Amino acid sequence: MIAAFCREIVAALGAIWTDKGARSTMLGATLFFSAFFPQPYLNEVVRDLPVAVIDQDGSTLSRELVRRIDAADAVAVARYAPDMPSARSLFLKREVHGIVVIPPRFERDLLAGRAAPIASFSDGGYFLLNSSMSSALSNAARSLGAEVQIGRLAASGVDMAEAMAIVEPLRVTTIPLFNPAGGYASFVLPAVFVLILQQTLLMGIGNLKAGRRPGAALSTLADAIVYVGLYSLWAGVVLVWLPWVYRLPRIGDVAVMYAVVVPFLAAVTAMGIAVARLIPTKEGVIFFLVVLGMPLFFLSGVSWPAEAMPGLLHAIAFVIPSTTAVPALVRVNQMGADIRSVETTIFVQLGLCLAYSLLAVLVERAKGRPAA
Amino acid sequence: MARRAHLAAGFRRVLLAELRQIGARPGLMFMLAPFPLLLFALLAVVFHLGLPRDLPIAVVDLDRSTLSRQMVRMVDAAPDVAVAREAGTLAEGRQLLLSGKAYAVVLIPVRTERDVLAGRRPEVVLFYNNQYMTPGSLVARSVGGVLGTVAAGISVEARVARGADVESATQAVTPVPVRQSALFNPSLEYVQFLLAAVMPTVLQIFIGASAALSFARDRQGVAGLGRSLRLGGTLFRTTAGKLAPYTLAYLLVLWGADALLFGPMGARFGGSLAFHAAYGLVFVLASQMLGAAAALVARDTVSALAAVGVIASPAFGFTGITFPRLSMNGFSRFWADLLPVTHYLELRTDNILRGAPLETSLPAFGCLLGLALIYGGVALLLLWRHGRPRPVSAVEAGR
Repeated sequence: MIAAFCREIVAALGAIWTDKGARSTMLGATLFFSAFFPQPYLNEVVRDLPVAVIDQDGSTLSRELVRRIDAADAVAVARYAPDMPSARSLFLKREVHGIVVIPPRFERDLLAGRAAPIASFSDGGYFLLNSSMSSALSNAARSLGAEVQIGRLAASGVDMAEAMAIVEPLRVTTIPLFNPAGGYASFVLPAVFVLILQQTLLMGIGNLKAGRRPGAALSTLADAIVYVGLYSLWAGVVLVWLPWVYRLPRIGDVAVMYAVVVPFLAAVTAMGIAVARLIPTKEGVIFFLVVLGMPLFFLSGVSWPAEAMPGLLHAIAFVIPSTTAVPALVRVNQMGADIRSVETTIFVQLGLCLAYSLLAVLVERAKGRPAA
Repeated sequence: MARRAHLAAGFRRVLLAELRQIGARPGLMFMLAPFPLLLFALLAVVFHLGLPRDLPIAVVDLDRSTLSRQMVRMVDAAPDVAVAREAGTLAEGRQLLLSGKAYAVVLIPVRTERDVLAGRRPEVVLFYNNQYMTPGSLVARSVGGVLGTVAAGISVEARVARGADVESATQAVTPVPVRQSALFNPSLEYVQFLLAAVMPTVLQIFIGASAALSFARDRQGVAGLGRSLRLGGTLFRTTAGKLAPYTLAYLLVLWGADALLFGPMGARFGGSLAFHAAYGLVFVLASQMLGAAAALVARDTVSALAAVGVIASPAFGFTGITFPRLSMNGFSRFWADLLPVTHYLELRTDNILRGAPLETSLPAFGCLLGLALIYGGVALLLLWRHGRPRPVSAVEAGR
């Protein structure tokens, strides 16, 4: 029995190596995608977003404000424009991605203690450009405003501590956790990596199993164990080693990670075998998985919060292992969650594994009956 | 005249042969229109609620004063967030963050109210989960704004107490107000953009894959590509005849999705419809040529599909819709330029959203057209090489 099982294990390993499609998805594609997907995001944050300034005041304080805007990491003052039409045309040509207007009498109003508003036009079509620009601008405006205010109060004879207490009576400190720099790669890649594991594993199984007669129960079990084992190694590479290579924050406990990864891979393997029995051709399986990748990413709730999705849709998406595994693994790896915080996910994955195994068996029964 | 009729007949023969192939494969018919439209519906449902409301956050109120309770009430009243839990300690708050039950924790330390009144400038801390950047930054902006308002209120009171009138005190709180407006998208309807950008990216996969399947199938078939070439007469007619059914189907899907977006879903269309149709057509053709070229480079159907998958499925990150192109590394910018969808989305933004004059869009349109020609050229070249009669079939053809 044990010897037969060992032979099946060796046969399963051999099958992956000899089948060209399986070899290239389960060995090549995993590594390739993990190197390729991160490329656009590797610079992490928006730096030196070019903006145009229309300085209608031309005073010392307006120049000081421009200097502070330029000093922000996210933004760089690239052009001075004489008026709005010319700034707009620079914007349309994508030479600048924002416009700042400092109206005449800016300095005079500010020094007289009146509100001295400025106007900013950011790029509404691109969320990240828009938010980088608006935060850089409000920081510059706030710091300059507070300084001028404190200066005015101090000039009128208020002592420094009291002036600060009037200008800012309550300090509000905002601390971003887990991804302190707000890096885009740190945000997206941990989720993408989990999805790459799922999709390449499903494709590999599709390559090996679709359109073929299923083997005996023992050999299918041996195959499943080999897939889970192989991908457990990949999980180490993709979820532990690659984040280190790309300098992504990762504070999780590897043991807790594997407590989620192994049930997850088991669920994916069971799903892969069931799908391969449902869709009869290799091409069909691969095509189905290629186009499904992106919708699955959005369903995982990492880039788009699950709270913003209709409840029914999120409930249906539960049948895909990544929907719950992606957030759980992100919580473990990037946020340092302990096993208690992810135990629900572990049970969900085990349940899915069971359900898909059952489905695979039932599909086979249903197919076998008419022939018999 | 007779020659032209012959060539048109070649196109028709290949077209009919391709239609028969499609007709014999229900799976292929499904991926022509129903499946992409189904995915569009799925994505539309994912995004249809718009930006999330009432994101759950936790509060650790160690002060329990009038001021602290007022802060909690005001935070809860903000539309983006809801105070879902009151944690007793910061450790408890942290656990709520880790289990995903709260996106942020607001810590109001002991004696906050007393310190405010004594002018000791106490510190309220907002911890937010920036690993989940979309909800995290929403929550941070919203809660930060509310706490800023509270602080501003106190500041106004302090100034009034020192003898200032209310109006000048209010002005003094924000000496440099920033009037922010987002050009071309004043209401920041980000969701429609995301959907409008995701759909063509998904379609690019479908379009490329269908063209790849069509050519790879011929290549693997017994008769090989030679048969299709003989049916069509010329390389160009053969390619056109083979791809025409898919061009038509996917154009209809592309425009159908747009019709839904600009019709019932209420997105604004501010550009030229004719130009929109033109770059839509070139986008479909360029994606088809990309798929055809991939199929002719790859050895078999599965590798052809895999090649399209490798090129088209990571495309979304490269298009610069989420993470901007100007912040990408050189390789990513170069790679993005090779993808039809990058230029298509840029043209869409220019035309529909910005209503940019035509000459602004010419470079991007030129790039898209260039890609169609280059990939088309590669596909024709490979088709010519693979379809050349081999010695054996040359004899056969000579008979």
